[in-house]
Amino acid sequence: MINITIDGKKLTVEENTTILEAASENGIKIPNLCYDGRVETYGACGLCVVEAEGSAKLLRACSTKCSESMVINTKSDRVIRARKTALELLISDHDGDCKAPCSLECPANTDCQGYVGLIANGEYKQAVRLIKERIAFPSSIGRICPHPCEKKCRRKYVDEPVSIAALKGFVGDMDLASDDRYIPPVEPDTGKRVAVIGGGPGGLTAAFFLRRMGHGVTVFDMMEKMGGMLRYGIPEYRLPKSILDREIKQIEDLGVNFKNNVKIGRDISLDELKKDYDAVVVALGAWNSSKMRIAGEDCEGVIGGIDFLREVALGNRPEIGGRVAICGGGNTAMDACRTAVRLGAKEVRVLYRRTRDEMPAEDIEIKEAMEEGVDFCFLSSPCEIISENGKLKSVKIQKYELGEPDESGRRRPKAVDGSVEEVEFDTVIMAIGQYPELEGFEGLEISAKNTILADSGSFRTSADGVFAVGDVSNRGASIAIEAIGEAQKASVVIDRYLNGEDVKYKKPFYVERTLPDGYFDKFEKAVRAEMPVLPADERKNSFKEVALGISEETAVNEAMRCLECGCHDYYECKLIEYANEYDVKPQKFSGEKHFRNNEDKSSLIIRNADKCILCGLCVRVCEEREGVTALGLIGRGFDTIVNPELSLPLDLSSCTFCGACVDVCPTGALKEKQPIKKQLAVEEESRKSVCELCDKLCPIDIRYIGDTVTRIKPGDKNTLLCKKGKFDLTDKLNGAQK
Amino acid sequence: MAENIDLTLLDKTLEDYASVKGSLITVLQHAQDIYGYLPEEIIKHISDKMSIPVAKIMGVATFYTQFRLKPVGKYLIMLCKGTACHVNNSDLIEKTINETLGISDGETTEDGLFSLKNVACLGCCSLSPVMMINGETYGSLTPDKVIGILNTLRQNALEEGNEQ
Amino acid sequence: MKIVVGEGSCGIAAGAAKVYSAFEKLTEKYDGIDLGFTGCNGMCFLEPIVDIYDDNGDLTRLVKVSENDCEAIIKAVSENSLEDLEALKISKEDEEFLNKQTRIALRHCGLINPEDIDEYLACDGYKAVEKVLKTMTAQQVIEEIKVSGLAGRGGAGFPTWFKWNAARNSEGSEKYLICNADEGDPGAFMDRAVIESDPHSLIEGMLIGAYAIGAGEMVVYVRAEYPLAVKRLEKAIKQAEERGFLGENILSSGFSCKMRIKAGAGAFVCGEETALIESLEGNRGMPRLKPPFPAQEGYWHKPSNINNVETYANVAWIILNGGEKFAQMGTENSKGTKVFALTGKIKRGGLVEIPMGMTLREVIFDIGGGIRDSKKFKAVQMGGPSGGCIPESLLDTVIDYKALAQTGAIMGSGGMVVMDESTCMVGMAKFFLDFTTKESCGKCVHCRLGTKRMYEMLTRIVEGNGRPGDIELLEELCYSVKDGALCGLGQTAPNPVLTTLKYFRDEYEAHINNKKCPAGECSALIKYVIDSSKCVGCTKCAKNCPVNAISGKVKQPHAIDADKCIKCGKCRGNCNFSAVEVR
Repeated sequence: MINITIDGKKLTVEENTTILEAASENGIKIPNLCYDGRVETYGACGLCVVEAEGSAKLLRACSTKCSESMVINTKSDRVIRARKTALELLISDHDGDCKAPCSLECPANTDCQGYVGLIANGEYKQAVRLIKERIAFPSSIGRICPHPCEKKCRRKYVDEPVSIAALKGFVGDMDLASDDRYIPPVEPDTGKRVAVIGGGPGGLTAAFFLRRMGHGVTVFDMMEKMGGMLRYGIPEYRLPKSILDREIKQIEDLGVNFKNNVKIGRDISLDELKKDYDAVVVALGAWNSSKMRIAGEDCEGVIGGIDFLREVALGNRPEIGGRVAICGGGNTAMDACRTAVRLGAKEVRVLYRRTRDEMPAEDIEIKEAMEEGVDFCFLSSPCEIISENGKLKSVKIQKYELGEPDESGRRRPKAVDGSVEEVEFDTVIMAIGQYPELEGFEGLEISAKNTILADSGSFRTSADGVFAVGDVSNRGASIAIEAIGEAQKASVVIDRYLNGEDVKYKKPFYVERTLPDGYFDKFEKAVRAEMPVLPADERKNSFKEVALGISEETAVNEAMRCLECGCHDYYECKLIEYANEYDVKPQKFSGEKHFRNNEDKSSLIIRNADKCILCGLCVRVCEEREGVTALGLIGRGFDTIVNPELSLPLDLSSCTFCGACVDVCPTGALKEKQPIKKQLAVEEESRKSVCELCDKLCPIDIRYIGDTVTRIKPGDKNTLLCKKGKFDLTDKLNGAQK
Repeated sequence: MAENIDLTLLDKTLEDYASVKGSLITVLQHAQDIYGYLPEEIIKHISDKMSIPVAKIMGVATFYTQFRLKPVGKYLIMLCKGTACHVNNSDLIEKTINETLGISDGETTEDGLFSLKNVACLGCCSLSPVMMINGETYGSLTPDKVIGILNTLRQNALEEGNEQ
Repeated sequence: MKIVVGEGSCGIAAGAAKVYSAFEKLTEKYDGIDLGFTGCNGMCFLEPIVDIYDDNGDLTRLVKVSENDCEAIIKAVSENSLEDLEALKISKEDEEFLNKQTRIALRHCGLINPEDIDEYLACDGYKAVEKVLKTMTAQQVIEEIKVSGLAGRGGAGFPTWFKWNAARNSEGSEKYLICNADEGDPGAFMDRAVIESDPHSLIEGMLIGAYAIGAGEMVVYVRAEYPLAVKRLEKAIKQAEERGFLGENILSSGFSCKMRIKAGAGAFVCGEETALIESLEGNRGMPRLKPPFPAQEGYWHKPSNINNVETYANVAWIILNGGEKFAQMGTENSKGTKVFALTGKIKRGGLVEIPMGMTLREVIFDIGGGIRDSKKFKAVQMGGPSGGCIPESLLDTVIDYKALAQTGAIMGSGGMVVMDESTCMVGMAKFFLDFTTKESCGKCVHCRLGTKRMYEMLTRIVEGNGRPGDIELLEELCYSVKDGALCGLGQTAPNPVLTTLKYFRDEYEAHINNKKCPAGECSALIKYVIDSSKCVGCTKCAKNCPVNAISGKVKQPHAIDADKCIKCGKCRGNCNFSAVEVR
C-alpha cells in the first residue's frame, strides 16, 4: 500500500493503482473520454490530465501509476484549462445536433422531438409525461400556441414542418379522455411555502413545478377562475373552457391551493405575502390594452381588444352593433375580429398598417378569419376617431405605404400624404398591444417598459424572495409559452433558493449543426397533416371549437414525418456532459469540420462518423475483447476515421453485433437501433437485471420507455455483453410483453 | 481491371513473410512494388494468408504515405516539401506543376502519364528545390526547368507509345 | 593514381552517377588509373565531387564536375598534369568548409568506399567491437559511454548510457537494440549520409550497444525514402556476417547478435520511439503511453533500446579513443560533436560536424559562408518541426542542449535551415504546422485538432484574414497543445509558432493589423510592381506572365495590371534587371 494525496485528501491505495483508479475509488471525479476499464488504456483524449507536485508535465491519470507520497491536484487552473481546450477542440470537429431545433426554439424547451417520437410509437402516456416536464397543460397549449417549434422544424426544407402543436393537443386530449391519466410524481413535502400571484399560464406553471418539487404552493388570482389569459384572453372557439378547466384541475389535484378573487394591493399586500411565504412569484398577465394615442379614442364605442375578449369570456355579450373595426395585426386582433363575427356583427374590418406578409398573427388565424368573412384593410390605420355626443361615429383612416425596413427587419409603414378616408363604425376594437397593471407592486423596481424588473437568469426582482416571470416582467407581454418557459426555469431557481442556494438559470451548451444545401434532397416527401376544421359557415355563428382534432392514425403518421434531428444518445453522451461542466466556448477554434453525412443504419447498430471523437474505444474493444476487428482506424491525423473493413456497411462487414462498441462509445457515434418504429431520443427508464440466456448470467441494465424495452446495457462497468444479451434479449423481452 | 490481378506474383513474399510476425508493412511494400499500388483483392489476399483482419491492413495502408490504394501514372513526381525546399520556394514549383499538368497533390493526369505526390523531404536539401521522378532526382529547379523536364518526359512517353 | 567519385544520394542527384559511368568507360582505355567511389563528404554545395589521389596518397579535389569534364580529367590524370584542371579544383575558401570541422560520426564519410568492408577495416574498423568483446564487461562499456557524456543525437539529448543501463537492468533474456534511421525532420539528412557513406560504423556502434544491454537482435528502422542507404546497409550487413562480425558467437566471444533492416513507410511520427516500435510490429505508427518506457517494455513488449544513427556512429570511436577524449570536446552540458545539415539560404550548404560549444554564428558564417545572394540573415531554424527559429540577436548562442533550449528552439536531430530577409516568419510557422498537421497520427486530441486549428489560424493570418486576438489565441492553443499532447510530436509542434511569436511578433502584427507581409512573401498581402527606372523593356516578364497581366512596348518600361496579377512571382524571377519589386 502507498500513501498519496489527491486534492488535499490523504489516501492509501494499493501499489500499481493508476491515479484515475485511485481517484474514482475515493469518489473523486476525473473526466475521461477514451478510458474504459474493459479495454487497455490508450491515452488519447487528454481529459484526465492532472498535476502532480514535482512534475513539470501534466500527467494522464488513466495511465500514470500512483507513487509513494505523490501529491496530486485534479482541479488546478492549468488542469482545467487543458481539459477545456481538449473539449473545445473535440467539439470543433463534432458534427451533430444535441437537441433538435424545434426543442431549442421552444421558449419552454419542450422536448418536441421526444414526444413526437413517442407518439409515433404509440407511447401516448409517455408523450404526455415528457410534455409535462415542461408544460402543465398540453391540451390547451397544443391548441393555442403559435408553435415557434414548427418554424424551426427542418422538415420544412423537405416539404412542410411537422404539425408539432397538433400532436401535442392530440396526445393531451387523449390523456384527458383516458382512465389511466398521467399524474406527475410529487416529491415529499419540504415544508416551504410559495405564493404565486397570477393564475395564468406562467403562474400555474410555476405552481405546477414547485408543487412537484414538494413545496406548498398557493396561487392568488383576482378573477373568479384560474387560467388568466388562457381563459379570459383566448376565445372559446380556440380553447374550450372545458379543456382548460380539466387541465387546471389536474394542477389543483397535485395539492396546489387556489385563491381566487384576491387582488394584490386591494385584498392583500405584497408585503404580507412576503412575510407569510418563503418565496413569492409574481406572474401577472398584461391585462391592459394599449391606446393608439389618436384624437378621440376615449369615446364610447372604442374598446380594448383584451377587454372585449374578457367580456365575452365572462359570458357577457357586449353590444357592438353591425359595423366593427379591429385595429392591429396580431393574434389578439384575430381573436377579436372572429369573436365579433360570432357576436353577429355583419361587417367586420381589420385595419392594419402594413400588409399581410408583415402581420404577426398566425397565418391560419388570418386565413380562417377571412373565411369567416372578415374584411382586411392593409396599409390602413385610424388617425382620428370622430364621435357624436361622446359616442363613436366614424373613423378617419390614413393610408400607408411600406418604406425602409426597421430594426426588426419589417418594412416601416409611411403615411401617404392626403390619403385619408372617413368610415362609419359602431364599434372600434383596439388590439395593438397590452401592458400589465402594476398597482400593488410599487415596492419593486419597475423597468422603462413599465414592467417589473427581474434578473434574466435568476428571475429575482429587487425584493429578496420575490421573483417575476412572464408578461409582467422585463420584456412585457408575449405568448403563453414564453411565460411558461420562464416559469419552469424560475421554478428550478426558486427551488434552489428555498434550499439556500443562489443559482441562475444558464442556457446549456449544445452542439448545433448548420446543414449544407442539398442535405434534404435525400428525404422522401410526405404531406403534412392539416388540422380538420368546422366549415366557415358553421363556425361563424357559434363558439364551437373550430379545430376538430386529428385522429390517432393521422397523429402517428404525422409523427413519423419527424426527421429526428436531435441526437439519440444525448442522455448517454459524456462529451456534452463535460462540455457543460467545463463551460466550453468551442467557437473560438472553429475551422474545418468533417461532414461525412453517411450514417450507417445497420440492422442493429447505427454508426455516425460525424459524431465520432476518435477515442478509439470501439476499435479497441472490437479487437481486444472480441478478436473480430470489424472496425479499424483509417487514414491519419485530422482525417482519421473509424470504418468497418473496406468502408463496408456494418451489415456486410465481419461484425458479429456483440454491441460492445456501442456500450463503450462515449458519444452518439455508435448506438443501438431501437426495436421500434421511430427511433427515440428520450431519456429511458432503467431496471437492473441479469441475462439468463446462458449460464454466465451477465448483469444487465434494461432500458425501457413505457412498455417497450429500447435497449440493454451492461449492468456494470466490468461487463460487456454478447449479441444474445445485447440484442436478442431485447426482442425476447418485448415479445414476452406483447 | 480487377480480374487481371495475378495473385501468384505475391507468393514468394508471402512464403517468406506470412508467418513472421510484424511483417505486414514489409509485405505491403513488396505488394506495392509488384502491383504498383495496393488493390483491394491483394489486401484481402494478404489478410487471408497472414490472418490479419482487413480492417487492420487498411488501417496500416492508409496510415503510411508510401502506400497507394489507387494506381499511379507512368511518371510519379515526388515533389519535396522539406524545409530547405520551402525556403527556396518549392511552392512556386508546385504551382508550376499544378498549372502545367492540371493536377494537384495526390492526383493523376487524365492520360495516366503523371501523378503528383508531395513528400516530406528527399534529403537533397542542398539542391533545393528538388523533385524526384521515378527514382531520378532533379535539383535546383526553376519553373522553366520543370516545364522542360515534364515536356521531355511526355515526349519520351509518346515516342515509346509510337514504337509499340 | 586513383579517381574517387562521391556517390551519396545528393551527389548522385547532382549527377555523380553519370560522372562515374563516364569515367568507367574512359578508364578502360587508360592503364594505371583506378576508379572508385565513396560516400558523401558533406560538401553538398559542390557536388558532384571527384577526388584524385596520387600514388603518394595526396589529394586533389575537383568540384561541380560534369560528365563532360571527365575526358579532360582522365587525360590530365594520365599525363600527370593536374594543373590543367585548375578550373575544377576546389577553391581555398571552400576548403574551409571541411577544415573547420571536427569529424567523429562522419569520420569516414567521403573517404572510404562504403560498399567495401576492407576499406572500413583498413581504418581500424571493428577494432572497437573486438576490444569490447574481448576485454570489457557490459558494465564497463556502459561506464565508458557514461564517461564520454554521449547523449542521444536524435533530438531529445537523453544520456545514452542511462538508456543502455535501464535496458540492461530490465528483466528478461530477450532484448532488442533498435536504430532509429527514420530521419523525419524535413531538412536533415545526416543519418542518411552516415548509412550511405559509412554503414559499418553504424553496425559496429550498434553491436557495442547490443553487447552492453544484452540484446540478441538488432533492427534498423530506415526511412522508405532512402533506397540507397538501405541498399548499402544491406550489403554491409552481409559483409559483416561473412566476416563473422554479425551472427553466432561473434569473434569467438560467445556473444551472438543478428541484424536486420526494416523499411519505414512514410510517417514522421515514427521517429517517436514508441510509434517506431508500433511500426516495427507492423501496426499503425501511433505512440504508446509512456511509462512503460521501451527499456522496460519495447519491441514485442521486451526491453529495447533505441538510439538514432548518429548516436551509434560515435560509439566505436569512443571505445577506441576513450570516453575521456570525447568528453574533452564540448561544453559542460553537451559533450563531443554534433552533425548538422546546413541548408536554406546559405552559401555553402552541406553536412557539418563541429564540437559542441561552437556558436551558431561560427557555423553559419565561418563554415557556411553566410547568406547567399548578398541578402541579410534573418533567422535559423533548428530542430525542424519540433524546433524553433533563432534570430540574429542570438547568433552567438553556443551549440549546447541547454543553451539552445533556452532560446525556445532545440538541438534537434541537426537540421539547420538558414533564412534570409525574404522569408516570412509567419509563413515559416505555417509551413511547419502544415507539416505537423499532415504528420499527426491522429491519436490524441491536442495534436490531431490543435495543430489543425493552429494551422488554420496561421493560414488566415498569411492570407490577410487575421483577426485581432488571433495572436493571443494562438499562444493559448500552443501552450495547451504542449501540455496536452501525448507524444513528442504534438508536444513540440507549437515550438515553431512560439519562437516566431517570441522573436518576430511584429511580423504577425503587421499581417494582422496592417495586412502587410514585411518579408514580401505572402501573396495575398503583396503586389508586384515594375520600377520603370530599372525596366529596360526586354519583354521577358510579359512573355512569361501566365495571365497576360503585364503590358508595355519593346524597350519601354512595362507595367503590371494589379487586377489581373495572380502574384505568382514569375516576372520577378525572370527579370534580369531586378526591376520587379514587391510592395
